[in-house]
Amino acid sequence: MGDVILSVKDLNLKFDLRGRVLHAIRGVSLDLYKGESLAIVGESGSGKSVFTKCFMGLNDLNGHIDSGEILYDGKDLAKITQEKDWLPIRGGEIAMVMQDPMTSLNPLKTIGAQIEEAILLHQKIDRHGAHAQMLSVLKDVGIDEPERRARQYPHEFSGGMRQRVVIAIAVACRPKILICDEPTTALDVTIQAQILSLIKELRDRLGLTCVYITHDLGVVANVADRIAVMYAGDIVEIGLCEEIFYDPRHPYTWALLSSLPQLGVRGQPLFSIKGTPPNLYTEIRGDAFAPRNPYALEIDFVERPPYFDVSPTHKARTWLLDPRAPKIDPPVNIRAIRAKGSANP
Amino acid sequence: MLRYILRRLVGATITLVIVLSIVFVLLRQMPIEGYFENYDKLSPAVINARLESLGLNDPIAVQLKDFFASLLRGDLGTSARYRVGAPIGSIIAQKAPVSILLGLLSMALAMTLGIPLGAAMARSKGKFWDKFGTLFIVIINAVPSAVYYILIQMYATDLLKIPMLFERGNPVTWILPVFSMSLGNTAYYAMWLRRYMLDEMNKDYVKLARAKGVSTRKITMRHVFRNAFVPMIQYLPTSILYTVGGSIYIESLYSVPGMGGLLVDVIGRQDNPMVQAIVMLYCVIGVVGLLLGDLLMGVVDPRIKFAKKEGAR
Repeated sequence: MGDVILSVKDLNLKFDLRGRVLHAIRGVSLDLYKGESLAIVGESGSGKSVFTKCFMGLNDLNGHIDSGEILYDGKDLAKITQEKDWLPIRGGEIAMVMQDPMTSLNPLKTIGAQIEEAILLHQKIDRHGAHAQMLSVLKDVGIDEPERRARQYPHEFSGGMRQRVVIAIAVACRPKILICDEPTTALDVTIQAQILSLIKELRDRLGLTCVYITHDLGVVANVADRIAVMYAGDIVEIGLCEEIFYDPRHPYTWALLSSLPQLGVRGQPLFSIKGTPPNLYTEIRGDAFAPRNPYALEIDFVERPPYFDVSPTHKARTWLLDPRAPKIDPPVNIRAIRAKGSANP
Repeated sequence: MLRYILRRLVGATITLVIVLSIVFVLLRQMPIEGYFENYDKLSPAVINARLESLGLNDPIAVQLKDFFASLLRGDLGTSARYRVGAPIGSIIAQKAPVSILLGLLSMALAMTLGIPLGAAMARSKGKFWDKFGTLFIVIINAVPSAVYYILIQMYATDLLKIPMLFERGNPVTWILPVFSMSLGNTAYYAMWLRRYMLDEMNKDYVKLARAKGVSTRKITMRHVFRNAFVPMIQYLPTSILYTVGGSIYIESLYSVPGMGGLLVDVIGRQDNPMVQAIVMLYCVIGVVGLLLGDLLMGVVDPRIKFAKKEGAR
């Protein structure tokens, strides 16, 4: 694997909510490699969105980084407190594609003006140059007749086209890292594939490093080199795409993969994870997933598991990987996938 | 666009006819004593002759028809009691400019005070300016305007050492009427602008602008403010009517020789033709304001189109 472009070390993020403290990110470490595409998966409220917003200082004002580092380009982003220090990073170094293209664009400005605004903010370039660059970016994201379309307003675009515009805004200033926060959730299934392949193509062409946030494992399988599974503000398992899909180790990952409905299977009840995610207002003892985990060991309720390496690229935070742990067989369907994985690697 | 305006104008004319008919009929229900200065001393024959000459003995439908017929000829009639026999058109032409000028000044003042106040309130939600503005808005809305109009006149004239009554040639005396008249609208603009700006600030496009690297200040100015202004425009007609309403009281308070004072005056004297003419004028102002508001909205918001869709999409 290549160079590390962004390195998060033991990040803790807390939100003050009317006097109560919510511990949203609980000591997460992550290395992001140049040119890779990493998918962060997890259920709602697991902190995947909030985590990546830390890279751009986009969390709400009541959230603050309690401890930890976010190293990027020789700087510690976790130390930035002034908005003006964030401005060159946002859009210039790290850019974001938002979830809902229908509402992400300013309805009163032409899409050309909205792209130019980003270009003018980050590049020393005059209006003329920005205009030319805007047109070429529009062409890059697959919008025909850029001259005419640039003069149109968001309401004159379809959802898929708007998402292309949002992507154009994100890549207009040639950022190094592109964070895609559920980029296809709000789109038709037929459009989703187009948008994903567009992002993929741009990544190759512009040498972007991509971070996808999603709960759609189908999307993940399509685009990701690596997968990080988040649960209750922590990465519980991280590994290459195949490793997570075919050889998952954390019981939460098992549960997540089991929840995937199988096309063409009838009469089987759909699997769902029992219980609800833990309350992050209270300090969590042991493994956060233990109360919902049928395979939980006694120690899971007492001490937080460290990461155990499965392979150089694959590690998981579960006591089951400890040499002293009893041998536990994963659920049937996971064993089935595993078998499939080893049959056609 | 032109078709739209024409359609609206037809609608406006219908509104006008209805309003005028109601006013006309209501005024005819008033006791006839008001038409005479010394009703008790007149013989029934004289009274009847007078009513006949005013056309008041005809059936109401005929009177209404006559009224609209003369209106169509551009004849507003003549004043019956205020300035007997004088054409109403010329009386209004004499009085209107002061009122219009005062009204425009007060609206301009309300905008220059209310819009920054509303924006400041939205930007400092829950902090000083927001609380200050809320207090102001609550006071203006809760206290009957007559009360603070009078308080302002009483104390401010003393404080600023300026004359109590309006003089056309003395600009200092314009301050208080204009200021009093603007208060209601200032609160109104501030309240709605704050609300719409806060609405807009939570929208996704603001988050995207933030992710683009636009500073909060610029987001507020370039993105939020303009979007918040679109729904604000619908309050323009209402605020014009507020101004007209306020002017009626304030003009008599400061004895401004304008339309507001005139209306109060002629209602008291039962000068029906005058009342009709002035009400009609106010009605026109209101209807034109509404039309203006709608058209302005189309200018500001590209999503609103009046014409048929052009071109192929």
